[in-house]
Amino acid sequence: MTETSSQPVPEKAKPSLFQQLELDMRLLGMIGAFVILCIGFNIVTDGRFLTPRNLFNLSIQTVSVAIMACGMVFIIVTRHIDLSVGALLATTSAVMAMTQTELLPQVLGMGLNNPATWAITIVVGLFVGTLIGAFHGWMVGYLTIPAFIVTLGGFLVWRNVAWYLTSGQTIGPLDSTFLMFGGTNGTLGATTSWLFGLFATGIAIWALWSGRRAKAAHGFPVKPVWAEATLAGIIAIAILGYVYIVNSYAIPTRRLQRMFEARGETMPEGLVVGYGIPISVLILIIVAVTLTVVARKTRFGRYIFATGGNPDAAELSGINTRLLTVKIFALMGFLCAVSAVVASARLANHSNDIGTLDELRVIAAAVIGGTALSGGIGTIYGAILGALIMQALQSGMAMVGVDAPFQNIVVGSVLVLAVYIDIVYRKRLGAK
Amino acid sequence: MKRILSFSAAATMLASVAFAEPVVGVSWSNFQEERWKTDEAAIKSALEAGGAEYISADAQSSSAKQLSDIESLIAQGVDALIILAQDAQAIGPAVQAAADEGIPVIAYDRLIEDDRAFYLTFDNVEVGRMQARAVFAAMPKGNYVMIKGSPTDPNADFLRGGQQEIIGAAVDSGDIVIVGEAYTDGWLPANAQRNMEQILTANENKVDAVVASNDGTAGGVVAALTAQGMEGIPVSGQDGDHAALNRVALGTQTVSVWKDARELGKAAGEIALALSGGTSPADVEGAVSWTSPGGTAMNSVFLAPVPITKDNLTVVVDAGWIPLADLCQGVENGPAPCN
Amino acid sequence: MMQAQDTQKTSNNAGRGSGTPPLVEMRDISISFGGIKAVDHVSVDLYPGEVVGLLGHNGAGKSTLIKVLSGAYQMDQGEILIDGKRVEIGNPRDARANNIETIYQTLALADNLDATSNLFLGREMTTPFGLVNDAAMEAECRKIMAQLNPNFQKFNDPVSALSGGQRQSVAIARAVYFNARILIMDEPTAALGPHETQMVADLIHQLKAQGIGIFLIDHDVHAVMELCDRASVMKNGKLVGTVDIADVTDDDLLSMIILGKQPEQKAE
Repeated sequence: MTETSSQPVPEKAKPSLFQQLELDMRLLGMIGAFVILCIGFNIVTDGRFLTPRNLFNLSIQTVSVAIMACGMVFIIVTRHIDLSVGALLATTSAVMAMTQTELLPQVLGMGLNNPATWAITIVVGLFVGTLIGAFHGWMVGYLTIPAFIVTLGGFLVWRNVAWYLTSGQTIGPLDSTFLMFGGTNGTLGATTSWLFGLFATGIAIWALWSGRRAKAAHGFPVKPVWAEATLAGIIAIAILGYVYIVNSYAIPTRRLQRMFEARGETMPEGLVVGYGIPISVLILIIVAVTLTVVARKTRFGRYIFATGGNPDAAELSGINTRLLTVKIFALMGFLCAVSAVVASARLANHSNDIGTLDELRVIAAAVIGGTALSGGIGTIYGAILGALIMQALQSGMAMVGVDAPFQNIVVGSVLVLAVYIDIVYRKRLGAK
Repeated sequence: MKRILSFSAAATMLASVAFAEPVVGVSWSNFQEERWKTDEAAIKSALEAGGAEYISADAQSSSAKQLSDIESLIAQGVDALIILAQDAQAIGPAVQAAADEGIPVIAYDRLIEDDRAFYLTFDNVEVGRMQARAVFAAMPKGNYVMIKGSPTDPNADFLRGGQQEIIGAAVDSGDIVIVGEAYTDGWLPANAQRNMEQILTANENKVDAVVASNDGTAGGVVAALTAQGMEGIPVSGQDGDHAALNRVALGTQTVSVWKDARELGKAAGEIALALSGGTSPADVEGAVSWTSPGGTAMNSVFLAPVPITKDNLTVVVDAGWIPLADLCQGVENGPAPCN
Repeated sequence: MMQAQDTQKTSNNAGRGSGTPPLVEMRDISISFGGIKAVDHVSVDLYPGEVVGLLGHNGAGKSTLIKVLSGAYQMDQGEILIDGKRVEIGNPRDARANNIETIYQTLALADNLDATSNLFLGREMTTPFGLVNDAAMEAECRKIMAQLNPNFQKFNDPVSALSGGQRQSVAIARAVYFNARILIMDEPTAALGPHETQMVADLIHQLKAQGIGIFLIDHDVHAVMELCDRASVMKNGKLVGTVDIADVTDDDLLSMIILGKQPEQKAE
């Protein structure tokens, strides 16, 4: 504080470029860190890091943790914590694995790879996840047991319920349609990916425009048109650029051959087919967009942030904070189940160790993404970027050949450093 | 390339061609365990000898991370993969990805249930045979106790199967009576000791030999025997644990079947070079077709372990596996080299 | 907003003594925390267009009593009547449903949200799709703030970035925007400078004229003398007495607060 007090009060200067764009500086900082990280690794690995293939892998590898990190943002924003997400993922994954390999085919006699299996399985999994989450939330909200304790207990309980359900066995192979949610086994293909990219770009520009129109309708100040256009341009490049990257990663020839053989056709000579957007990444995008809308544009989201900012004020404003807690934890449980679909489909099996230590990765992703443990502050896109940065660090270091202990030392240090930078940034801004 | 070329010859040839040195990726399941350091050194030196580059990743006991690791190794352009699988089934998508790229996969020491993987391990059935053979040689008649491994580990039953091959005839003829047989939960010495104590009590100490499935359980068995003053009766083991080799020198354990990790690592490196050089899996030297318990037919190489008894203790010292001082601690006028 | 209810647009104290039931009547309220009686058989009432001061030391039970009315605390005993009818106030939502609004001493603002979000917290305006309508709410917020505090401009900053007076005006705006009939003000001027204090005083007169009943909790005897029609004094959880401001002096009130005794009836 002393160093700032000696400085003169800054004059009201002409708003800077970034201020006119009204971009979140934190977001820019994180994107900057991510880009520097990628370029750095790319140089050290002689250009192997920024290849379509590696970026495709990176996005697939991030999905499971990122989906849960989205839910963790809401948990942490309301000043709670959830240590049980990895265990909950394991339990829902175990339930789904047993449903699709034992219950449906054998007990109910539907046989293997029945076309309805995947849908029933996912519904069962999401239901179980939501139910367990709601149960956690009820204990936190209504029985007023601290979330730390409830979910620490849950961590032990659900990890071992998963174990019990499967007797510790690896369950698999899973239903063939179900596997499409894992990443490599289910992608949109090049054409659909381009269509999706254009559609998403259209939606984003429409959202920008309608926001601007609503402000203008009430006569509030709006950004200059060039700023809006720049923003739209950046978004379009980001979306279409990603589509371009995942489309340029070609399906290996042998795999393609096998796919043709499975359909009883012969592959044309020299055919090249791009993967396109993985379905798992599509799920993450849907989760992220939905939760961002929930956070910003629904009462539920508003109450989450109000409760995090001042729980007493929220209660006094007539918000049922107990029920809100149940809903938030139920949502977290739901997302754990979504994540379990992706994680187990990716492994093509349910393994007993699935989701181990994910709770720490998820919390770290949310925190690196700017979610404040003191509550009230956090963004969905931040958490996803946090997850992406962590995964990029890990796979980048693995690629460079950094020893395993050093990898974890670096990730741990980055976590602490990120939070410190965040604190300094907020102090500079004068905000809490 | 001529099919009859042995893998070492292929490796030499590759090295002499040297337009681009082959890259071999190794995915470890859990490098924290000390023993893999030995394996790594052996793989590295085998690859160096063949002019190949070694890159690796450690999955830190997570099957999900292992999948990411292998994707990363493939993205780095490896020509062959050596995988110590965390999970025999969950590794499937990784093998699939490698197969899509035409990259050969070697299942190192642990089974991968996939016919595209090349399985390299020690012959666990042979380990069981060696254990029983050494005990049987020392005690051809009498009351036997079988201390088996963990009930969840398929190796435990391979071992027991091998043991039965040796003593089966003697059991049928009545020369050998199996008076006790127990699994050891988690391979824990404490569990083996407790089981052995109960068997001794039940049989009023009328036990003449113990076939224990590894050195840890053998340690528990010897402790139970010592408590009854019965140490010195034939006891088997495996792994070449330092404590077990010391017991062999002391005469309280008959045999420790030693699986030399350096041999395994060396073979893995050489096979990786051969496969990446285009040798077909069936043509790898020593390859046999083998059917896994899960019904997968795979090309495999089974290395023969070495039974260490009081007659060949010098082998482990010469190999640098154990310092002489450790081996001979507390031994007076024992077998070579402790005399 | 702040619509005057014609029937109650009368001069001071007009409602009282005219045979109509009081706007609010809290009868024989008791509440205890862990064996300590924070409020002990206290009864107070409030008529339309009236300001009743609640006085007492810290810990006298004023805030606790008022939190029973605003739904923050549950009473152990007693009853609350509004317009002569018994009502159940189990939580802040029930209080709001009965047009009871509260300006808390702590202001009860969510510091991380902007003024508009705080103003409408728990009562957001929504679009036909069920999403919150930020633009419409901001427009309403700008309107009411223009009346309450014309200098207020920081509509897009979190309220943590606002000054004490600005925060106070957000809290006041929230209480008066939704057609309050009963307003509870817990030390509304504690954090304010003289100018802003005067602003609050003006506002109280204005609201009173609209027929709103106000409970005003304050330490400052002078402020109570100036703003209130009646005053109820509490000490150690018990009601010392309720007096008409017109009948007492500053010193009478002070002695009630300090000694816990009704003033001697003045012989006239």
